[in-house]
Amino acid sequence: MPIQSERGYLIMAQNSHKVDYVDCACQLARSIRHFHPDAKICLLSNTDATESDLFDYHEIFAWPLSDNPYANDWQVFSSSPFRQTIKLEADMIIASEIDHWWTMLEHRDVVISTGARDFYDQKTPNRFYRKVFDANNLPDVYNAVTYWRLSETAQEFFRLVRKIFENWEQYRTLIKFPDEIPSTDLVYAMAAQIIGPERVTMPFASYPRIVHMKRGIIPLRLENWTQEITWESDPLRINTVAQWGAVHYHVKDWRYD
Amino acid sequence: MTTGAVIFAFDNEETDYVAMAAWSAARIRRHLKIPTAVITDCQDPGRLSQFDHVIAADPVTGGTRFFEDYQQTQTWKTLTWYNAGRVDAYALTPWDQTLVLDADYVVCSDQLSVVLDSADDFLSHRMAWDVTGIDNCSGLNWFGDNHMPMWWATVMMFRKSPTSEFIFDCMKMIKENWIHYKDLYHMYGGNFRNDYALSIALGIVSGHTLNVNNIPWGLASIVSGHNLTQIAPDCFQIEYYNQGRLKTIDLQNMDFHAMCKKKQLGDIVANTV
Repeated sequence: MPIQSERGYLIMAQNSHKVDYVDCACQLARSIRHFHPDAKICLLSNTDATESDLFDYHEIFAWPLSDNPYANDWQVFSSSPFRQTIKLEADMIIASEIDHWWTMLEHRDVVISTGARDFYDQKTPNRFYRKVFDANNLPDVYNAVTYWRLSETAQEFFRLVRKIFENWEQYRTLIKFPDEIPSTDLVYAMAAQIIGPERVTMPFASYPRIVHMKRGIIPLRLENWTQEITWESDPLRINTVAQWGAVHYHVKDWRYD
Repeated sequence: MTTGAVIFAFDNEETDYVAMAAWSAARIRRHLKIPTAVITDCQDPGRLSQFDHVIAADPVTGGTRFFEDYQQTQTWKTLTWYNAGRVDAYALTPWDQTLVLDADYVVCSDQLSVVLDSADDFLSHRMAWDVTGIDNCSGLNWFGDNHMPMWWATVMMFRKSPTSEFIFDCMKMIKENWIHYKDLYHMYGGNFRNDYALSIALGIVSGHTLNVNNIPWGLASIVSGHNLTQIAPDCFQIEYYNQGRLKTIDLQNMDFHAMCKKKQLGDIVANTV
């Protein structure tokens, strides 16, 4: 897609038979607009049904890979209408202003967020979901917030992401305990490792921040945190604690607004 | 500006907290060079002579609490625990700047003078640590089912200021609505505790951000199961078992919190001439 705007947020939402990710994307877009009414937002989805006024750009793809929906992720690079893009996973909301992210990220070609935080804004030591990363000494990346600018580094990175997805049977032999179907995080981590984590991550930066609400990361009895702890909206507080940055709410049908 | 320490001392069925506070007052005077006030229901002038101020108050019980060191041969002993008046420290203190100390916090150095010299209006400890390194204190530094960060009310420094007043007003509000807060933070069977009220209050006063300035070191603690003896005025020995082997560690010129060792600390106090 030709460049149509200098910088913006790109939300990728592939509806599945279980989850209405486009509805999640709409919620995310509303939360961005709450803090940044003039932000440019692009939706990449597999359906045209959406609130058109929420998005400045809406692209629909004929997804070439259907067996693993994650495998379409590499296409975000060529689909973005922005010179500088922050890709956001659809099942998140933005809980505070985030335009300062650009100030730091714009100095790099690619930045994949690293490290998960709990809702107390503490970096979680829990590695329940990261065993394959630790076993293979892969960078602790989370593709849920990924920045890139049009650059050779970004092109190289997403080419590699595509190559790993499309040749998983070969790439999986390179790591211990590989998943049958690779997650986007795992593929990003492998791609980062191959081209050099120092080129595409900033593990010591205090943002972009992502709060993860998965049970293995936060102290919960139930899988569904919304049924266990209190939350309040505007501003978002979880267990009375004010939230900042991106909150990956995990419970797909949770509606903040 | 006047500065002093405040200790709450309400005896219960087993522990002479007034004697412990008097012992502590002498140590505070020696190391920190500040006067001490006691908030107590004791009316015996002979037991109160160590204090510069005596503030009469009625005990308020926070419930009952199990103390392992009072374990008798077959039964665990639960004692009435008078502590809930701590939320009144702001209103009762005679000083402009106050150091509130638990009676079982043992001052062995002038380290707290750093806290008194700080520019903050309110400071307390965020993390306790076990001086033996056996216990990682994970069950002590967080509270509730969802692991809210806990600040310790064992040592609190505050100045008369709007911030401190807000914190103590909040603690009072939390105490008055304890059932609600207990449920909110999933504290099953939890008595009211000053530490919990302080932690919740600091959360509220910080705008629910938990961005709070703390005493810039951890609260050295002697946790349950260890034995404490005094071997010199400012040197204490801790005996503990590590993987079945008896070990000792000496703490010289180091403040500490003698948690759950009320009887041993009481014996030390009683044996001090």
